[in-house]
Amino acid sequence: MNPASQNLACGSPAHAISRRQMLGTLGGLAGFGSLLHPAIAKQIRNQHKQVCLIWLDGGISQYESWHPLPDSKFAGPFRSINTSIPGISFSELMPQTAKIAHKISVIRTMATKDPNHSTGVPRIQRGDPLDRGVDYPYLGSAIARLLGPVNPELPPYIWIKPGNGGFIQRDAGFLGAQYGVLALGDGRPPIHIHRPEMISAEVDMARDVLRQKANERFTTYRNTSDVDAYETSYKMARQLMARKEIFDDNLLDPKDRTRYGSHPLGRHMLQARQLLEAGVRFVKVNSYHWDTHGDNFNMSQRLVPQIDQPFAALVNDLDDRGMLDDTLVIVMSEFGRTPIINSRMGRDHWPDCWSIALAGGGTRPGAIVGETTSDGAFVDSEGYDIGHLFHTIFTLLGINPQETHYHNKSQRLAIARDDCQPIREVML
Amino acid sequence: MSRPALNVKKAWTSCQLKHDRQLFRAQFSPDGQFIAAGGQDKLVHVWDLKNDKKKSFGAHKTWVSALAFHPAGGQLFTADYHGVVHCWNYDVYDRPAWTIGNANDDNVRTLLVTPNGEHLITAGDDTIIKVFNSTNGEPVTTLNGHQESVFSLAISPDGKDLVSGDLYGSVRQWGIGDWKPVRELDAGLLHTRKENFIADVGGVRSLAFNGDGTLLAAGGMKEAKSNAFCPGKPTVLVFDWTTGQLKNELGIKGKSDGPFNAVQFLEDDMLAWHTEILHTSSELTFWKIDQSEPFHSLENSSGYDLSLHPDQRQLLVPTYVSGGSSGNGARGKTPAEYLPNKTVLKIFSLFAKPQEETTG
Repeated sequence: MNPASQNLACGSPAHAISRRQMLGTLGGLAGFGSLLHPAIAKQIRNQHKQVCLIWLDGGISQYESWHPLPDSKFAGPFRSINTSIPGISFSELMPQTAKIAHKISVIRTMATKDPNHSTGVPRIQRGDPLDRGVDYPYLGSAIARLLGPVNPELPPYIWIKPGNGGFIQRDAGFLGAQYGVLALGDGRPPIHIHRPEMISAEVDMARDVLRQKANERFTTYRNTSDVDAYETSYKMARQLMARKEIFDDNLLDPKDRTRYGSHPLGRHMLQARQLLEAGVRFVKVNSYHWDTHGDNFNMSQRLVPQIDQPFAALVNDLDDRGMLDDTLVIVMSEFGRTPIINSRMGRDHWPDCWSIALAGGGTRPGAIVGETTSDGAFVDSEGYDIGHLFHTIFTLLGINPQETHYHNKSQRLAIARDDCQPIREVML
Repeated sequence: MSRPALNVKKAWTSCQLKHDRQLFRAQFSPDGQFIAAGGQDKLVHVWDLKNDKKKSFGAHKTWVSALAFHPAGGQLFTADYHGVVHCWNYDVYDRPAWTIGNANDDNVRTLLVTPNGEHLITAGDDTIIKVFNSTNGEPVTTLNGHQESVFSLAISPDGKDLVSGDLYGSVRQWGIGDWKPVRELDAGLLHTRKENFIADVGGVRSLAFNGDGTLLAAGGMKEAKSNAFCPGKPTVLVFDWTTGQLKNELGIKGKSDGPFNAVQFLEDDMLAWHTEILHTSSELTFWKIDQSEPFHSLENSSGYDLSLHPDQRQLLVPTYVSGGSSGNGARGKTPAEYLPNKTVLKIFSLFAKPQEETTG
């Protein structure tokens, strides 16, 4: 069975590598190579690949971050500063990231299509699939489906975001609700993560056995995405109750808090590190209010350092822990911001030529990819759409997007646009 | 020749000086002969209104953020977003007479010269007000107390008091000469930080005294709705300077979503200001400060500064002009077709057109 196929009527959990699968695979590895299912082998190889997607909602200005071009007619007022890569400059608003530029890569020629938030965000996070009449999964759900959990005791896809949390099915698209995302509102652990004192561990266990029996009976004849979602969320809840220490702020080193910053994005990215260390496959961190149509320069001055500081800290920490090679960190938005400055001293939406940053996970350290026109407004080499980025991400994670497909009932669906290719310059 | 009577209801655009880039600061010289302006193209532009000639001078390495003429004439001071201040002599604009390399850390947001011409005062994001000898740029003293970026400065007509306004809405009074802090006024209404914001928005963007120094106006915007678009309600707070009490809160009737970056008192405690708005027309508005609503406004594109001519009858506004590429995305434009936005320096004459007087 293709690892990406799904059959909601089969009645078995589809997303975890079971102990039996694992033993069988290990047996194959021990001497029955021909029996080794290639897909399982791939999962074994990629067991430790993880992803941290940092989403700056609304769109960070490339001029005030990755591509300042201080001598161009569209430059902002800030200085450009040298980075650890000779000849490469970032905005002065990114002093910490400038020091670790040799550890990261930047693609300066993203050329996407959609200039609107409402359609741009899902389009980008779904990889702009061709219209096949289904809602494609967001990247985190796709990875959760394709690779499963790193640590079977933890959800494969967690989203740290401002505002409310909960289990959000939308990201899963046609994969089904069980591949939805567990959202931690403002980084807070799910509510009721602590077992009430009045319920003993034994009573709790007995309750769960009873619940499972009732659930099995119910699902014998009726199995729907909603039931999967219920089962998944319940299982997640129990998993998280067992690992509640990963949400305990008090266990964090105060020096780490200082290094990441006390602002929400800093706190949430430190929490992302905790979750990655605990074995969560895909962690998404959202920061909102980057849509600087008004007062772009005052706002950038205050916003950009909020990604600079924790991004550099996260990359350094993953590097120090030996995790960076297997953890892909992505900093991006739905688009960049206009070269020209509008009447409110702001920059509007600019999908035509913008920048993203990547680190780890098999990306090429220090790669600065893409040539723009001298004013930075347009691509002057090859432009990369989101389909190219999805091919790159999947390939870095060991998933061959040409050979791997989703199976939605009888529908065979590409996991990434088949008219795109990986961005090789950014890969080792 | 006698000065025409002030009549803002009859105000008209008497001069338009076009520039192909965005300019955010513009000032009349003390004799009214020159206009200096600066902004995005890093150059200092000086128009001689006697012969309509413009000269442009380069020394700044980033956007020009502030400028002021010496009250005695002869010199122009310009500042930028890298914290550099240049002093220019009128007759030798090809190079600065002298330079302060780091007037304020990070940047200079505002600068002015004391009425007696002795001191040049700068302020910016480092929260420190710096006082320099205006003759040679030597530092005199620093004034500490603000907790956030200082956006605006003003000096009372008698030359005794300096006021400064910051992002948090703190307006501080300092003695000129002894440079001691005197008191703090609360313009916190002009600052917004909601729970879901990730940055502070607004601040005291402009300050102005009335003619006899009894009123202080602080301009900005209140009730910002987000830290992204940064839309808010343009607002001026008028303080009784003697008591420090808020006397009136003024807004506008028309559509606008940006702060008052400049306010200017005219005769008879009449107040003029200009604001900005995204992708549509803004307005130049006139108030009598004892009335609850503006009594006149002129439709104009977004404006970023106001300078009153020494004749008290002309207002200079650096006004936004679209280059034709505004809005989201390139929308099919080629690099050659994608052009920066522009500026027209508009002079509004605050009296009836001469022919109207004749015919009317």
